[in-house]
Amino acid sequence: MNKNIEVSTNQSGDIFIIRIKGDVTSVTGEVIEDAYQKLSPEGAQKILLCFDRECYINSGGIAVLIGMTSESRKKGQKIGITGMSDHFHKIFDMVGLTCYTQVFPSEDAAIKDF
Amino acid sequence: MGACSRTELQIQSIIGCEKIAMDFATSVARKIGLSDARIEDLKTAVSEACLNAMEHGNKMDPEKKVIVTLTVEDSRLKIDVHDDGKGIGQIEPPRIEDQIEGKYRARGWGMFLIKRLVDGVDFETRPEGGNVVRMIIKRTA
Repeated sequence: MNKNIEVSTNQSGDIFIIRIKGDVTSVTGEVIEDAYQKLSPEGAQKILLCFDRECYINSGGIAVLIGMTSESRKKGQKIGITGMSDHFHKIFDMVGLTCYTQVFPSEDAAIKDF
Repeated sequence: MGACSRTELQIQSIIGCEKIAMDFATSVARKIGLSDARIEDLKTAVSEACLNAMEHGNKMDPEKKVIVTLTVEDSRLKIDVHDDGKGIGQIEPPRIEDQIEGKYRARGWGMFLIKRLVDGVDFETRPEGGNVVRMIIKRTA
C-alpha cells in the first residue's frame, strides 16, 4: 500500500522535533510511531510534533496520536503540537487531544516556550 | 420547490480512495459557494463516512463499492454514503480520558467527528441490504 508520508526528526535544545508531511492515518501511523520510539532512548522529555499545514489527518491518524500521547504520559514526556491547519486544530479540540498536549502557534513559539 | 441536482460517485473499498470522494464533494461544495471552513468540515465528514463504509460495511473487500451521492437543494447539501453492510448500530461515543489511560484502544473517532461536523446525520439499514449514512450541510450555516 502506498504510504504518502514524510517524517524527519531533529533536535533544538532539549526539544525533539518530529516533522510530519503527508497523510496521518492508521496506514502511515507506524512511520510516526517509529520516529517517536527512536527518540525515547535518547532521553527525550519534550517532543514537538510539527505538522505541515497540508497534512491530511483522519480518525485512524487521531487514534495513532492518542496512543502516542498515552505512552508519552507513562514515560513522563510532554507532547507539543504545531503547524496544523485551523481545521485540524478544531478537530483536535473536539476530540480532546489539546487537553493532553500543548499547542503552539508556530515552531519558533514552541522552541521558546515549550 | 426549487431545482436540485444530484451527482454520484462510486469508489472501491481501498484505503486512500476516500480522498477521491473528498475531492468530489469539494468540487460540488465550491460550486454552491460553501465557505472554506464548511468545505473542510464536509471533507472530513465524507472521508470518515467512506472509511466506515469500507471497513465496517464492505469489510475491506475491494470489489465492493462505496457509493457517494451529493444532492444540492435550495437550502442544503445532502450527502449519502452507501455500502453493502448491515450497519454498525448505535455505538458509545469514545472517551479520550479512557483511551489516554489505556483502558480502551484508541479508536472509534470517525462517527464522533461526523456527528459534530455536519448539521444532521441519519442512518438507514435497507431491508434489501446495504447501509446508508445520510448527512446534511446547510448552505447558509
